Amino acid sequence: MRNSTPKDIGAIDFGLMEPEEYRDMSATKIITADTYDDDGFPIDMGLMDPRLGVIDPGLECKTCGKHSGSCNGHFGHIELAAPVIHVGFTKLIRRLLRGTCRDCSRLLLTEDEREEFHAQIDQSRKLGRDLNDVTKAAIRQARKNDQCPFCGEVQYDIEHEKPTTYYEVQQVLTSEYSQRIAGAMQGNEEEGIERTTPDELAEKTDIELSRINEILSGSFRPREAQRKAIEKALSIDLTDEDTNKLMPSDIRDWFENIPDEDIEVLGIDAERSRPEWMILTVLPVPPVTARPSITLDNGQRSEDDLTHKLVDIIRINQRFMENREAGAPQLIIEDLWELLQYHVTTFMDNEISGTPPARHRSGRPLKTLSQRLKGKEGRFRGSLSGKRVNFSARTVISPDPTLSLNEVGVPDRVATEMTQTMLVTERNVEQAKQYVANGPNSHPGANYVRRPDGRRLKVTEKNCKALAGMTDEEETAGIQTVGPGWEVNRHLIDGDIVIFNRQPSLHRMSIMAHEVVVMPYKTFRLNTVVCPPYNADFDGDEMNMHALQNEEARAEARVLMRVQEQILSPRFGGNIIGAIQDHISGTYLLTHENPRFNETQALDLLRATRIDELPEPSGIDDEGVPFWTGRDVFSELLPDDLTLEFISESGDTVVIEDGQHVEGTIDSEGVGEFGGEIVDQITKEYGTTRARIFINEISTLAMRAIMHFGFSIGIDDETIPDEASARIDETIQEANDRVNELIEAYERGELESLPGRTLAETLEMKIMQTLARARENAGDIAEEHFDDDNPAIVMAESGARGGMLNLTQMAGCVGQQAVRGERINRGYEDRTLSHYQKNDLSAEAHGFVENSYTGGLTPREFFFHAMGGREGLVDTAVRTSKSGYLQRRLINALSELEAQYDGTVRDTSDTIVQFEFGEDGTSPVMVSSGVDHDIDVEGIADRILDGEFESEAEREEFLGSKQPPTNLSEHADSRRVDSVPEVTSDD
Amino acid sequence: MVDVSKHELVPEHTVVDEDVIDAVLEEYDIDRTDLPKIKYNDPALPEDAEVGDVIEIVRNSRTADRAIIYRLVVD
Ligand SMILES: [Mg+2]
Ligand SMILES: [Zn+2]
Ligand SMILES: [Zn+2]
Repeated sequence: MRNSTPKDIGAIDFGLMEPEEYRDMSATKIITADTYDDDGFPIDMGLMDPRLGVIDPGLECKTCGKHSGSCNGHFGHIELAAPVIHVGFTKLIRRLLRGTCRDCSRLLLTEDEREEFHAQIDQSRKLGRDLNDVTKAAIRQARKNDQCPFCGEVQYDIEHEKPTTYYEVQQVLTSEYSQRIAGAMQGNEEEGIERTTPDELAEKTDIELSRINEILSGSFRPREAQRKAIEKALSIDLTDEDTNKLMPSDIRDWFENIPDEDIEVLGIDAERSRPEWMILTVLPVPPVTARPSITLDNGQRSEDDLTHKLVDIIRINQRFMENREAGAPQLIIEDLWELLQYHVTTFMDNEISGTPPARHRSGRPLKTLSQRLKGKEGRFRGSLSGKRVNFSARTVISPDPTLSLNEVGVPDRVATEMTQTMLVTERNVEQAKQYVANGPNSHPGANYVRRPDGRRLKVTEKNCKALAGMTDEEETAGIQTVGPGWEVNRHLIDGDIVIFNRQPSLHRMSIMAHEVVVMPYKTFRLNTVVCPPYNADFDGDEMNMHALQNEEARAEARVLMRVQEQILSPRFGGNIIGAIQDHISGTYLLTHENPRFNETQALDLLRATRIDELPEPSGIDDEGVPFWTGRDVFSELLPDDLTLEFISESGDTVVIEDGQHVEGTIDSEGVGEFGGEIVDQITKEYGTTRARIFINEISTLAMRAIMHFGFSIGIDDETIPDEASARIDETIQEANDRVNELIEAYERGELESLPGRTLAETLEMKIMQTLARARENAGDIAEEHFDDDNPAIVMAESGARGGMLNLTQMAGCVGQQAVRGERINRGYEDRTLSHYQKNDLSAEAHGFVENSYTGGLTPREFFFHAMGGREGLVDTAVRTSKSGYLQRRLINALSELEAQYDGTVRDTSDTIVQFEFGEDGTSPVMVSSGVDHDIDVEGIADRILDGEFESEAEREEFLGSKQPPTNLSEHADSRRVDSVPEVTSDD
Repeated sequence: MVDVSKHELVPEHTVVDEDVIDAVLEEYDIDRTDLPKIKYNDPALPEDAEVGDVIEIVRNSRTADRAIIYRLVVD
């Protein structure tokens, strides 16, 4: 069983099942509603008949001979006393009734029309369109024919009363026709309808006067043509509806006569599905394995809902047969028939609108067949698409800057629970024995072993030493010991590759492969530079880990999914992993004013990098002590031949020549998480391994730098001198005055409206403008008083966190609060709060916050601020749910598209969606990012020529295929020191 | 009425000759009906396009300069 080859599904056909097929596959006919006899044995030909499969362990299946667990169970069948309609096909039945002749059962289409629809169906099939559109049109066309084109029979309307009743509706002459005609001839003065004399009627209808009189006396029933003429002349309705219920047996007879070629026009393959099979004469009984009974604690048996339902069906079926044999009146037979229909219907679907659901004795609605399949917890979404998975772990995450970005810290208690399968060979047998000997509880141990004969053994504290062959007893006790051919499920150890994930998994980088580092305590640890791709923070976020269980998966994860392979985002082609927050502040402090460091300090900055020897000093200071500048220290991390120029976030030009940082500030534009130029360039030109090393080192260097200088922020950093506060107050007072002037002008009617705006709108706009300018001015005043080394300024300028707005709100003025893009207008009648006069238009009354966060808000300001803040929260809540749903729809729509080896993108039916992937056949991550600069063709050509002409031997190597030295474990890197010096001793 | 086919953002649509179509179908190993579709009443279609024709659309591309797409006209 274990090594059975997987099989390919060639094709799946859907069709109806023939009653004969139900009988053929049935293990037994079920005739009695009883389940077990008094001794607790299942009754023969009852619902628990042992031929339907076994659920009790130890018993043998009477049909296949297998035991419980390996026997899948076998269907039985019930012979229904009368045919009933299958609820799943009521719409199709209605369509067929409407589209075929009530007498000869042929499709009500002429030969030409048939050909036409046949061709349309073929066309639709080829184009992969919905056949329903064509078949619906065919039925619509067929319904238009009142008479059968083949036998001439008049057709009646079919009415469908949900769920399973069909009527034929015939329009027949009402019995009160004479009264109705006479009444209409009276006319109606109120409504202005004139009297009609019999003479006039005779003239209008072309019926002889004597006939009219006969009709009026009721002694002659008008023919159809005459009836219509009279109806038209008097605009009355002389018909009554006469409904005639179609019993399932009638429908079955009707359908049996539909010729095969006629239903093919409706897209039905007659070979596979005859329409009469939609009317059930045999009901399959699911095997007991699909409806196991359970024994309660008190020894009582409790049956499955399906079994209950089947009991009902059998009972009614029996009563039906008894009554019919006894010659019961038609009315009783019909009632029983309807009851049987109800039970069969609810057996398949117990949530049909208009039908009361079948209930358990306790009043709970029964869970029948379609309830098992439907919905989130149903078989499809609950059991098949969304299964709970083994070898997974979930816990809180916390940061660890000492890890490489490729790594994940795994708590030891997780590492001892989750295992990797180790195939024992002669080469690793000693290691394997050591794992087993350690037992299941001490860290690099093992939890299970599998012997070559396939037996799986649990490793316990007691047997671990013996299994490893490290005691003397095993030979005497006959215990086999671990050796080649065994499998050992060992604990996770450092260097294992695992998959790591944070929900919502919205993009590729939400699931990446990491290397394990086993650690104490209870949280997963990750380097802070991988926060952006996961969108993780450490305020209680949890993440999932999955241990990979075969070599193929592990190789695939290492090559394709490792974090370093995801540095460039496929969304915009730039790097999504890079320095964040304090890293940026750190590099800014290190490079902005290019400070000097003595030897000890410089070595301390670089101590967590590969650099263990300082370069030549940048210079000698006045006291004769050598010093190194921040930029020179930073340059140590760059590849030797990197040349680059760009504008930094702080606005200066960064120049890097041959791996030397010459000038400019390194900030978020250089090493940041979203398109940091240096990271981007290194990744694209030197490969992902070099980029990983660079990002790891830049983050550790930055942390050392920020710790060297010290970086903190407090309330004093946002406090401005009294003189500045006074100026700000003045500015705001001016703005208030200006606003009041505007209001007065408006009230005097002197305000001129802007084009396309009403006066009130114009006033609002002008007030908003004035107040916005006031806030800006206040900000500018505040800003003047902050030094360049103010931490908030450093963070804003370097792009580490926050912006100037945050600073000005803290120090200057918080400004106008808005709801829906307008000043705050809601609350009471004609005013925002009861503290203000009605129709007060002033700045204060509509949510302008004059104060700064450091100065503190007044209670009213605070309230307005909360209103504005609330809107933001509601917005994000609404947006995430909306975009989540949109994402789900998009992914479901696109999930089956695949880029093929010929460069096309096709769906599963091989229909082409794009002739070239993305219309250019390029991967965004392989293309130079940014629209502003073109691809450096010359630079690329130079590099290629260099490689080609240096020496013949090197050229040979250049032309020969050289594997890039990537995708080795960082733990394996140390063994490759000689071959790839650059890739070696990071962190 | 505005003729959208003249708009600068609407790429060039031309009816392709049968032999070109055959070459395309062979290159991608597909039937004509496996091509992407375009509605007969699409305003960007040239006047002489009929249902069943194959249309070549040439788009400008930032990365590939020109991107060529074929579509089958359907009703
Ligand atoms: Mg969080
Ligand atoms: Zn069996
Ligand atoms: Zn007929």
